[in-house]
Amino acid sequence: MTRHLSDESLLRLVQGDSAEAERAHLSACGRCAERVEEARAGLTLARRADVPEPSPLYWEAMRLRIGRRIAEEPRRSPRWAWLAPILATAAAVAVVTLTTGRAHAPVAHPGPTLPAWSALPPAEDDVSLGVLEAVAVADGDLGTDDEGRGVSAFLAGLTDEEYRALADSLREAGKGGES
Amino acid sequence: MTSPTLALPFGLAATAASGGSAASPREAEREAIEACRRGEREAFDRLVEQYQRDVYRLCYRYVNDHEDANDLAQEVFIKAWRAIGRFRGESAFSTWLYRIAVNACLNFRALRRPITQELPETLADPVPLAAARVESDDEARRVRAAVSRLPEKQRATLILKIYHELTHEEVAEILGSTVGTVKANLFHALGNLRRLVGEERR
Repeated sequence: MTRHLSDESLLRLVQGDSAEAERAHLSACGRCAERVEEARAGLTLARRADVPEPSPLYWEAMRLRIGRRIAEEPRRSPRWAWLAPILATAAAVAVVTLTTGRAHAPVAHPGPTLPAWSALPPAEDDVSLGVLEAVAVADGDLGTDDEGRGVSAFLAGLTDEEYRALADSLREAGKGGES
Repeated sequence: MTSPTLALPFGLAATAASGGSAASPREAEREAIEACRRGEREAFDRLVEQYQRDVYRLCYRYVNDHEDANDLAQEVFIKAWRAIGRFRGESAFSTWLYRIAVNACLNFRALRRPITQELPETLADPVPLAAARVESDDEARRVRAAVSRLPEKQRATLILKIYHELTHEEVAEILGSTVGTVKANLFHALGNLRRLVGEERR
């Protein structure tokens, strides 16, 4: 008996799903038998030592505490979360386009019609419009949201209030890109 | 051993309330996760209700103290809420949550070390075997204290495998390890636990 069983084989013996050869080895190897017996004893101990159960009220209190802390967390904008990397890319494209003067060049292939923008004050130099145009032109390459909608369709589905908030975000992004 | 869950599984509460057919618990959980990603706190509350017991018990096994386990469990859920937008469903939600919990426990112990004298990875002279029988709460406390003294990876493996009944593959995913390593760590953890309990008895 020159070689002992591997840890995996010994664990199988502890758990009772070993192979015949492993059991045969065990019957002839005192060292392996001792290790298996020790691990079995450890398993028995582990299974009998449970965690003290807190009061039933404890779980409700924990939920309430977690709920309060989450309520204090900054409000997220999960509906736009998937747009963040797209808008960041589009903002960069728009900034580069504007700074190189290509924004005023004729468009060979007009992009899809942008959704109504009534919520925004009219301003020809509004950076957010350039960003949105870049987004809309590249719509086909930018993937879809969870409901399979493209960016233009998504924008078209926004409420006026959401438009305003998005436009504000884009203007802020534009200022950051220009500075 | 998985703790008995007092809360109704996902879907059952809705079924009881509406009287109609409801999605399976897995589907209900998926919907709850999607709702959380939209920022709906009520949906996250249902996830907390579903998993708070398991998370608390996992933390307790690590730190062997109710107050610390309570703080840790809450932190785990706060971290999960903040990160749930990045959960893509490539693993089970429970696996993802356990990974957060294990990392939180490891960080906690790293900051609070030394809480207890941890066992070295290898032992030179094993203590002679004695009858393994837990007869009292004192003995249970000794076992929990011994678990908390196991080396990090052995402790994590034993807790997830024995107390949360995860598969070797799930434990490996949570710990960023291989199945073979998980099995080896579990075997060593069991042997070391037996020896440590022997020490605790003396």
